[in-house]
Amino acid sequence: MPQPEGSRLDRSAERLSAKLAESTTRRSFLGRLGAAAMAVAGGSAVAAAVKPDEAEAFHFCGHIWTTGSCPSPFPPLARIDRHGFPLHPGSGRRIDNLGRFVNANGQPVDAGGNRLRGPDGALLPAGPRTRVCEDWTREVKGLRDLRTQGSWYRCCGGQIRKLVDCCSFSRRRINGDASLTGYCWGGRRVYCVMYYDTGLPC
Amino acid sequence: MLETFTPAVCGSRQRQIVAQALFAGAAVATAAALGLLLGLAGSLLGAERAVLAAAALALVAAAREAGLVRLPLPQARRQVPERWRFELPLPAWASGYGAGLGAGLFTFQPVSTFWVACAGAVALARPVSSALCLSLYGAGRAIMVVWPRRRASDPTAAVERLLGRRGALLRANAVALVACGILLAAAPAAGGATRVARDAYDPSFDRGALAFARQDGVVVVRPPGEPALVFPDASQPALFKGYLAYRDALGIRVLRWRNGMEVARIASTRVSRPALDWPLLAFVRRGESKKRIVVRDLESGRSRVRVSAKHSVYLGRPSLHGGRLAWQTSTRRISRIYVKTLRTNKRRLVARSKIALLSNPTVRGKRVAWTEARFGVSRLMLAWGSGRGRTLERIRSRTRSYWTTALGNGSVYATRWTLRSGAASVYRTNF
Repeated sequence: MPQPEGSRLDRSAERLSAKLAESTTRRSFLGRLGAAAMAVAGGSAVAAAVKPDEAEAFHFCGHIWTTGSCPSPFPPLARIDRHGFPLHPGSGRRIDNLGRFVNANGQPVDAGGNRLRGPDGALLPAGPRTRVCEDWTREVKGLRDLRTQGSWYRCCGGQIRKLVDCCSFSRRRINGDASLTGYCWGGRRVYCVMYYDTGLPC
Repeated sequence: MLETFTPAVCGSRQRQIVAQALFAGAAVATAAALGLLLGLAGSLLGAERAVLAAAALALVAAAREAGLVRLPLPQARRQVPERWRFELPLPAWASGYGAGLGAGLFTFQPVSTFWVACAGAVALARPVSSALCLSLYGAGRAIMVVWPRRRASDPTAAVERLLGRRGALLRANAVALVACGILLAAAPAAGGATRVARDAYDPSFDRGALAFARQDGVVVVRPPGEPALVFPDASQPALFKGYLAYRDALGIRVLRWRNGMEVARIASTRVSRPALDWPLLAFVRRGESKKRIVVRDLESGRSRVRVSAKHSVYLGRPSLHGGRLAWQTSTRRISRIYVKTLRTNKRRLVARSKIALLSNPTVRGKRVAWTEARFGVSRLMLAWGSGRGRTLERIRSRTRSYWTTALGNGSVYATRWTLRSGAASVYRTNF
């Protein structure tokens, strides 16, 4: 998240918190919540970097806010299928990048599965449907090295939800502050997150 | 009239509240109905163009209220009929008074603001929006009935207090009118999109003449200052000078649109989406294995395939002007807009996206326009030369977006359509 310009103390605290975040994994970082004490002493920048419990901080089920969602057709809910393509957050049906329901061939359909027509009465052709991490985030954020890598699981709404990291070599995450290693590997860090509802009961 | 809404006249405090509520409801409803009618009239007249006129009217009205100019106002110096409250039951006369004053047309207007609001409602050309805006006038009328009772036992005292500040009120009104005029002049409708055809799509523009397809299956050519010409059983028009190409049941037909004389015909059900730059005609031909954009010289009869793509690639509607061909290729993975110079056969990638649908390009001189859509936002893009495209206009909607485009002199014509209803209109945007 963009940081307002602050005092020298704030900037020092921001650098310190960034170093702290960069040098730790998600777990150990969260484990060092003692950094919250620095927020009290060191200024708002630290608070912004480590605060997980503010009202705006709750992200989606299974993911208490640390890293933001990836750009997707239905922001801020980046729901994907097992291959990383976008799904409708509510119904779980396939959608294209224009947010339309699509059939197995990628052709836009209505809620009943009937092909949609354009203003000329002709059937609409298939629109783009591309991966949320490798295509959406790459184009919107201009990062070329994004990969879907690590994941973890939580029980949400009676089914197992797979939370997936979209990883980059960037030291800044989508929030604008320092990125975490999270479940990424090979030197990449978590840039943004997505989720996949497996349908497995829990 | 204010003293009408007192416990003494109404019979009790409770009946007074009922009367005020009925008055307020009727005033707001009537003002909204007036706004609805004015907005409807504006939409029928295509009065979005009147936004600048409404802005000018607001500034003139501001000058009048500031005492800089003396202008008479259209007036109906009538008052609410007093006999109603003796002859009619309370609900009837209270509602009648509210309706009469809420309409605004049947009572004295001390300032010109009401007429500026009416002009703005016509220029808005959207019945519901106009109704919502003008309902505030009815609400203002209602407030003047309800509010005085909260401040003094004599309802006319509030009016007298207002009159005591008449000078300040007039100055505030003039300032508000100036602000209104500036906002109207700066509104998107004033400098931006103007609807030029309803139930229409696929615009084509050349030398002041506009052609478009209508959703009832005809092609219309609208020359400047002349009556429109209608070509039945036709779609996908392309206009160039005195020539018109369109698709019909037999293929593509090219004719002189002033006299209807056919000059060329491509008889095939596999051809579609003509683009005309006489004597060159570009069109899409569906083959057994591929789709192609073919450019034919209608004078020499020679044809040349300029673009070839697999069936899974959507080629859209090509555009041809000044020896340059523009087209789109879109698949499920990527969209691209290209321009090719026919003389050199050199192709240039104008725009590409893996997430947005780039479509319906149009070329004219060095300019290229196209549309870019992704969920929740649709953009009309314009590029000059080899530069990157800039957003000329955008629609933030999950159901409305752009369709086909055409470039004119200093303006882009674009189809806007609604996914759910399929309704489409052609708009002009100046740049």
